[in-house]
Amino acid sequence: MSDVDKKGDTGDTGDTREKPLGVLAAAIAAAPPPWWHWRRLRRLARQRWTPVVAAAVAGVLLGGTVVAWQAEAGPFHEERACWGALDEDDVADVFHGKRDIESSEVGVSFDRISSEGPSGLCELKSPRGMRVRAQLHRLDDRFGGAGDKWADEYLSARMAPLGGGLLGMASDTRAWLAIPEGCIGRPSEDDGPLVIDMEAGWTTYDDAVDTDERARLARAVVKLVNAYMADQGCDSAIGDPTDRLAAPARFLDEKRDAICGIKGLGLPGKGVGGRYDRPLVTKGDDAPVRTCDRDVLFGHPSLRLMTVEDPRLAVLYKGLSFDGGKEVKAVGDTKDEVRGRGFLREDMGLYQASCQTGEVTFLVRADDGRRAADVRRLLPRYVALEAERIGCGPLRLVLPS
Amino acid sequence: MTGESPVGASGGAPGDIPDGPADIPGSTGAQRLVRARRLIRTRRGGAAVGLVGALLAGGLGTWATDTWPFDGRDRYCWGAWEEDSGPGILGDDGFEGDDGRGRASTGTPPTSRDARGECRLTVASSHTYSDGDKRRQDTTVTVKYGPAPEPAADRVTWLGGYLSGRAMPLPDGLPGVADGTRGLLVLPKRCDTRDGRPTAVTLDAKEAPDPDDPLPDSPQLGGSQAVAELLVAAANKGMEAAGCDGGKPLRVSGPVPTLPERAESFPRGPVCRIPGLDVEADLDKETAMRLNYQVGPVTDDLQSCSAEIGRSLRLGEREDQHLFDAVMVREPRIAALLDGAAGTKAPGKGWRGTGTFASDHRFVQAGCAGRPTSFLMLGTPTGATSEYFATFTNAVARRLGCAPVAPAADEEGSRR
Repeated sequence: MSDVDKKGDTGDTGDTREKPLGVLAAAIAAAPPPWWHWRRLRRLARQRWTPVVAAAVAGVLLGGTVVAWQAEAGPFHEERACWGALDEDDVADVFHGKRDIESSEVGVSFDRISSEGPSGLCELKSPRGMRVRAQLHRLDDRFGGAGDKWADEYLSARMAPLGGGLLGMASDTRAWLAIPEGCIGRPSEDDGPLVIDMEAGWTTYDDAVDTDERARLARAVVKLVNAYMADQGCDSAIGDPTDRLAAPARFLDEKRDAICGIKGLGLPGKGVGGRYDRPLVTKGDDAPVRTCDRDVLFGHPSLRLMTVEDPRLAVLYKGLSFDGGKEVKAVGDTKDEVRGRGFLREDMGLYQASCQTGEVTFLVRADDGRRAADVRRLLPRYVALEAERIGCGPLRLVLPS
Repeated sequence: MTGESPVGASGGAPGDIPDGPADIPGSTGAQRLVRARRLIRTRRGGAAVGLVGALLAGGLGTWATDTWPFDGRDRYCWGAWEEDSGPGILGDDGFEGDDGRGRASTGTPPTSRDARGECRLTVASSHTYSDGDKRRQDTTVTVKYGPAPEPAADRVTWLGGYLSGRAMPLPDGLPGVADGTRGLLVLPKRCDTRDGRPTAVTLDAKEAPDPDDPLPDSPQLGGSQAVAELLVAAANKGMEAAGCDGGKPLRVSGPVPTLPERAESFPRGPVCRIPGLDVEADLDKETAMRLNYQVGPVTDDLQSCSAEIGRSLRLGEREDQHLFDAVMVREPRIAALLDGAAGTKAPGKGWRGTGTFASDHRFVQAGCAGRPTSFLMLGTPTGATSEYFATFTNAVARRLGCAPVAPAADEEGSRR
């Protein structure tokens, strides 16, 4: 329209003759409008095939959107943390419903010759400073490996068994669960189990375990294991373990002849600890370990008495039972047949016995050599009483002179 | 058009040729016709749009949920098992050969009147090797739904058969056991018979012997996980048919536990580490070399140990010689299958509890640490082996923390 007017104006100024002006105006008016003209567009919309094109375009858009939705791409992209195992709700569950959690990870991978099994790391961090780490790794059964620091923290008396035949435990700051052998097969004889563990910092050891926090970690570790199993093609997932968790362990008021609550276990004189040194003992039936810790500083007990009942964890101490100290034997050992093997050192006494359930490890460990006499006195009594409790008795040790 | 153009330049809609004047003729009859045509057009259009929408929604839903209703998957055993639904035997892996593949099932489900059902799934195929050898696969999986066999002796051997050998308990407290070819699941109390006996679902797989094959094959169902899943699927369908499904179907939660250890083929010391079970000492030197044992589950609820003499190829033996299967069971629901089978008398002099000694099995039931506990041993006792049951029973009783059940005649058994 304005086009026509403009050209009219030009005509007016450029040519003063009356008649030719009228002709020009008519010619301009008669010229076909340019392609973008509304008249053309209007006509285009009236074409027969136009609805088809429109439908096609709509279809493509719809299809693309649906594919994006299915593939969880674009606006439908869902952040999944920790090797794709945890969705936003799962992460929020760990962090009390907060959704501003950052995650970073090292994907699940193998070392070059696959000698140490798969491993992976994941870290979840809230802007308020709370941090939760998850790790997939094979328990290190070498000297000073998982039998040492890992066992201090992850087999501590604060941990409750996940139950249901699972090899795993949880507290309010730590949780671990072995990938079931039914899915990935049995580790070779000298390898530790493949586990996913989680750590959520430290708490005051004297406080009772917060069952709410413990449930969050237990649920999360089960989700991580389920996702790993799904990756391995095992489609039967482990159910929520939180209902099975035992009440948290409480500090014992120890009697003099019942150290760690074990009747008959005593020491001459003042006993093991003082008045403010009450022990904490693992609670819950069918726990893979029964641990009695006292005077714990940052997860490291000054004295630990532990029975590792689950044979799948025996491998953690298998190397140790040949290592260091003087050899401990059992009454009734012959040249061909022995009850087990073990050793005694200044800071540690260990015996690994062959029971009906498999290899069971008994352990008395102090954090230094100052309690050598206590360790020596406690070991045979502890082993005898614990062996009786778990149905591996009678077991009487012969200490080296 | 040309004449209209100057008018159009001032606005309006000259290019817009209304279809009204062309379509609406003066007569009322024609008008009626047009209206009808329009109505049809809109109706048809509406129907078409609706149809497309429905197809699109359906297709989308199908794709999103990955459920295609017309995939022609077969169902077997009362409709409990679906082709390709997971367990190996229901998928392509179920066929060992490439030719003549066939999978079919026969049998009737239980009903609310007769709570007994049976189903037989047969999987057949054959394979011709490049050298012309032909091998046939003929696998039969039998599922039975119903109470345990009535005669006491049959019941002991029937249950012992499922609990022994390589069987492991089902995960997450489901009262049952499974290995690679057999399984047993005890149904919840609501499915008990009127006289209070529990109902069980059992699964047994067999491979028909191939005359050309010197060694008997074991059927491949897809491992104990597959057996557990088949068992639970059949149990759910069976309970539905018998009218005792409690709304929430049973499910296999988590992987079926694996055997705690491999079969021991060079044993030193007592069999299954059961103090006093020194089988080796009772065998001649050559046979002792071929002694194998397998430790099954060792828990508060279930324990098993089986021993056999491995076949000697030198002597031309085709099969291992079974020595015994010893089982302790006190999982409440599984143990309930044996209720009333122990009779009222002690099985022998000096034994605690009640039970029977028969030619092919031994069975005793006694209270142990507050729970009724059953001990059984399958196998024909001969000479020295007759003491094994007493040794096993007392050693396990001791492990569980209860008084001896067998008379402490055998010095070995009471040593530890």
